[in-house]
Amino acid sequence: MRKLIAYIISIVFVLSLLLTGCGNTSNSSSSNNSPQQNTSSTSGTKKITVWAWDPNFNIAIMNDAKAIYTKEHPDVQIDVVEMAKGDLEQKLNTVLASGVKEGLPDIVLIEDYNAQKYLQAYPGAFADLTDKIDYSKFAKYKVELMTLNGKIYGVPFDSGVAGFFYRRDILEQAGYKAEDLNNITWDQFIEIGKKVKEKTGKYMLGFDPADGGLMRIMLQSAGEWYFDKDGKPNFTNNPALKEAVITYKKLLDSGIVKKVSGWNEWVAAFNKGDTAAVVTGVWIIGSIKAESSQSGKWGLAPVPRLNISSSVNASNLGGSSWYVINSSKNKDVAIDFLKEIYAGNNDFYQKILVERGAFATYLPAQTGNAYSAPDPFFGNQKIYSDLSEYMKKIPPVNYGVYTYEADSAIMGIMPNVYSGKISVDDALKKAEEQLKNQINQ
Amino acid sequence: MVGNEAQTSLKSKNVSYERILNRYGWGFTFFALILLITFLFYPIIYSLYLSTMSSKGIVQKFVGLNNYIRLFNDQMFLIALKNTFTFLVIQVPIMLFLALVLAAILNDKSIKFRGIFRTGIFLPAVTSLVAYAVLFKMMFSLDGFINTTLMNFHIIQKPIPWLLDPFWAKVTLIIAMTWRWTGYNMVFYLSGLQNIPYDLYESAEIDGTNKIQQFFYITLPMLKPIIIFTTIMSTIGTLQLFDEPMNLSSGGVTASSIGPGNSLLTLSVYIYNLAFKYMPNFGYAAAVSYVIVFFAAILTIIQFRVAGEKD
Repeated sequence: MRKLIAYIISIVFVLSLLLTGCGNTSNSSSSNNSPQQNTSSTSGTKKITVWAWDPNFNIAIMNDAKAIYTKEHPDVQIDVVEMAKGDLEQKLNTVLASGVKEGLPDIVLIEDYNAQKYLQAYPGAFADLTDKIDYSKFAKYKVELMTLNGKIYGVPFDSGVAGFFYRRDILEQAGYKAEDLNNITWDQFIEIGKKVKEKTGKYMLGFDPADGGLMRIMLQSAGEWYFDKDGKPNFTNNPALKEAVITYKKLLDSGIVKKVSGWNEWVAAFNKGDTAAVVTGVWIIGSIKAESSQSGKWGLAPVPRLNISSSVNASNLGGSSWYVINSSKNKDVAIDFLKEIYAGNNDFYQKILVERGAFATYLPAQTGNAYSAPDPFFGNQKIYSDLSEYMKKIPPVNYGVYTYEADSAIMGIMPNVYSGKISVDDALKKAEEQLKNQINQ
Repeated sequence: MVGNEAQTSLKSKNVSYERILNRYGWGFTFFALILLITFLFYPIIYSLYLSTMSSKGIVQKFVGLNNYIRLFNDQMFLIALKNTFTFLVIQVPIMLFLALVLAAILNDKSIKFRGIFRTGIFLPAVTSLVAYAVLFKMMFSLDGFINTTLMNFHIIQKPIPWLLDPFWAKVTLIIAMTWRWTGYNMVFYLSGLQNIPYDLYESAEIDGTNKIQQFFYITLPMLKPIIIFTTIMSTIGTLQLFDEPMNLSSGGVTASSIGPGNSLLTLSVYIYNLAFKYMPNFGYAAAVSYVIVFFAAILTIIQFRVAGEKD
């Protein structure tokens, strides 16, 4: 008898172990419980899970999109899951690499620098949308980033079009008008910065010497990247990169930059009014506007260009796109959702621009009202129509699959360039060699 | 006769009873064993197999020992290795020495409020690794608490670029780790000190030794097993150093380099980058993790040899 009980207990134990192992671990941090969603028990409900990372930006926007779509399609339930960007990438990597189909979302947000990496590392994991979406309506540079072997994956989302955001009041104090800041070179930028420092005591830029963001802006403004056409590292035969490295050193030596470390200090530098400008992607507008006391004091100009002929006053930093997982059970619904909202709903794009500051790469949206409206925070400058103009000029660049490796190799050697321990040419040579060895090419 | 029979039957009963006990024993450990095999042994063996592959995500190819050969040419790996050993060689001795001294002082019965001091020094060990790293990052920023304080006391003229210079970044990390882990090791020493019989000190005092002599000739030798233990634990901990450099460096996951000039890049961070930040090469990442295993084993053996010969 006792034996029997022992057997039963052990069997229950084993089963419980096995069953918890197979359990479905769908966790959602979605908080918007609109009535349409609570129909999961009714038959015919199709559930879509979305992974994204920024609660103030892409999560909020996805929730807006959800509200619009589920109103017309009450049988669809959309679950927006929030994760830190690093966690999302780590989770996506692990699940895709393990080969299991459970635990994946239906739609996932991927940063543009990482897109080719995922497409090449996990062939067949993402749905081919070439015939499903009209890509001629999206910015060309953006579509190229999600094209592999002639097939297009993903739906373009926000743009990282770069701008030179500046404080009108500080620059006026130093004797500069808006026209003086249009289409300048980085050398002119440094001269202006010196004047600003002299007249007002303010720094021109917040600058993280270990961050490669500005360098990527400079590179893309010249239509160059860390790699050649075949994806081989190209540091030594790359005039744009050499010029960018020299400019980095010049910026630091000129004394016009306030050195910061990391995102928070960088944002604090312009929020506190320590710096007169910030050169970065359009997504920074949200952070600039966070300091409401500076309302009306800001202005926008095109990014400075490098001292070489191929460089233009337009560039890009960051940006991301939506991808559909191929093994998703509700793949068609997921595609239809993205198509209807992100590739067709003009009002939606006006709404997210005004409310969330999301600058779309969907071209028809840029003729909408919100894009041509003046922004009081920027002294009634029509910044969004200006930004659409810049966006058209962004030189397309193939980021390849090793952007972060290259970034790390270059930024790793920069301290020696700053201190003058090593010449720029030697540094590029050394970094290129290091990168080649690291990625085994 | 009868007694003899009874004895043999008892014996056989004993044997079968032992058998039953054994069976139950295996029955109970069975589940733990299964768990151990699936979650410990299997990953160890699988990662060894994985380290012979080169992969781009799920696109894998067999490369044999090439991953290990590749390590020697990979400067980024060599930087990580060098950084890890720098931290190991400098931070561990400083921390253990401090812990030992603090433990010896706080073991003295004549000191008042010992409990408060002990708690105060141990307290950092219960803080979250991420939280304290972020806090240190704020305190050590260019216009952060440390620089302003030092400048107010006129100890330095210019702010020290703590996290913006390769050398100072390393210093910051060492200070942070020492703050976090000294108390933890001190507790081990304290418990070790309680086990040293007081007679030894008494007789030594009668023989005319001073406190310092007592420390070197009684305390240190008696604490040797504990010292070896803490050294090995700290060595392994430093070889796996991850949270602190990841969080002290500019932007964590999205940072261009881990610390200025990759000065905070450790082996574990490099493994993370290889698997999750860069082109996902799980095979190569597994090979790097075996390097950590290799060094941990070697260093442990050396420490045992150096310290444990006479026992």
